[in-house]
Amino acid sequence: MRTEDPVALATQAIVRRAEQRFQAHRLEIVTWTDRFFARLMVGQWLFGILIALVLSPYAWEGKVRTVHVHVWLAVFLGGAISVLPIALAVWRGGWVVTRHVIAAAQMLWSALLIHLTGGRIETHFHVFGSLGILAFYRDWTVLVTGTVIVVADHLIRGIAWPESVYGIVNPEWWRFLEHAFWVTFSVVFLAVSCLRSLKEMRLIAERGAHIEALSEAEWRRSSVLERAAKVPA
Amino acid sequence: MDRGMTGWVAFGVIWVLTVAAGFTFLWRYKLRPGEAEGPPAVWPTESRIPRRQDRATLVLFAHPQCPCTRASLAELARLMARFEDRLSADVVFLRPSDVGADWDHTDLWPRASAIRGVTTVRDDDGVEAARFRALTSGATALYDAQGRLLFGGGITSARGHEGDSLGLRRIRSLLLTGEADRHDAPVFGCALRNEPARRAARGSEEERQ
Repeated sequence: MRTEDPVALATQAIVRRAEQRFQAHRLEIVTWTDRFFARLMVGQWLFGILIALVLSPYAWEGKVRTVHVHVWLAVFLGGAISVLPIALAVWRGGWVVTRHVIAAAQMLWSALLIHLTGGRIETHFHVFGSLGILAFYRDWTVLVTGTVIVVADHLIRGIAWPESVYGIVNPEWWRFLEHAFWVTFSVVFLAVSCLRSLKEMRLIAERGAHIEALSEAEWRRSSVLERAAKVPA
Repeated sequence: MDRGMTGWVAFGVIWVLTVAAGFTFLWRYKLRPGEAEGPPAVWPTESRIPRRQDRATLVLFAHPQCPCTRASLAELARLMARFEDRLSADVVFLRPSDVGADWDHTDLWPRASAIRGVTTVRDDDGVEAARFRALTSGATALYDAQGRLLFGGGITSARGHEGDSLGLRRIRSLLLTGEADRHDAPVFGCALRNEPARRAARGSEEERQ
């Protein structure tokens, strides 16, 4: 059914414009965050190589030294982790798959850095820092992808090599839940923050569309008046 | 599916397989223990390392350049913090012949010296390591006050990885209760001698026998 009511038509136009403004703003944020992570991936790669070169440059057999496996892993595994997210950020910035691959890669970087620093407890904070940076996307589903990778890493290593995850040899069965709880604790609040940000972005888009409509109406009215003033009496 | 999308999917599959292979390699490397023969059942009388008569003595053999040994020293520090009153420890640093003057002056030596209750010892040409049959950096031997072996093995869970381990757990149990499910654990670290030197040492050992 075609509506002819000018108020309804104007409202529909404002709603459409608000949606356009919201999507454009969201794409801008997501694309910017993709590029930010591309640069972060390069930075983490260089940092990983630096850590390996400083902390474990060589493995030794008596007096004979060879380049430590950590150095090769920092170069090649670090490079492998980074290459797909960087390529996606450069050529497919804003694509939904890009940010999920970036989330997975960021968590894999946490795992690699933990190994390169010899399992230091301090490096485990990289996981929580990464979740915070992933919240830049304002897309809670990205946080879920990151959490799934952390959980998968904990599950696999928890079965094969429990002391590398839990710090003890025979962890109680619920230790997995304890770790998962603290990650989820962080993710829940970040997800709430993402949803609030989206709500605010939508509000800003609606206000912007209203202001645009008012400006347009004002411009039309002034044009009509100007034309009327120019018409000789 | 268009050609561009097929390319990204193929890239994604290769990426997943490559990263999985890389982490598998990493874990296998970290979990591969070094060589171990097990220390002698009784404290070697010819050893120049002083053994305490009133408490247990722990000897940890370290390659001064081995980065993995930082984790062993970190675990030793945790152990000493808890058992300083009933344990004396020596960290024995290898110093092969014909190496530069500064070869063994690495961050590991001050790190070990800083642990309360730990004495650092220089082991010229690995003589003490041979007496205690230590082949891998991080090899640890624990003897009671009478000089009987309580434990021989490593105190990390993987190569250069901090955190609790089977070895630590057994040492703790032995110090607290005098019992443990086993008296050894895998040693993770750099080899104290290279392969020709190990073969030569094994040859001279066989000749003596």
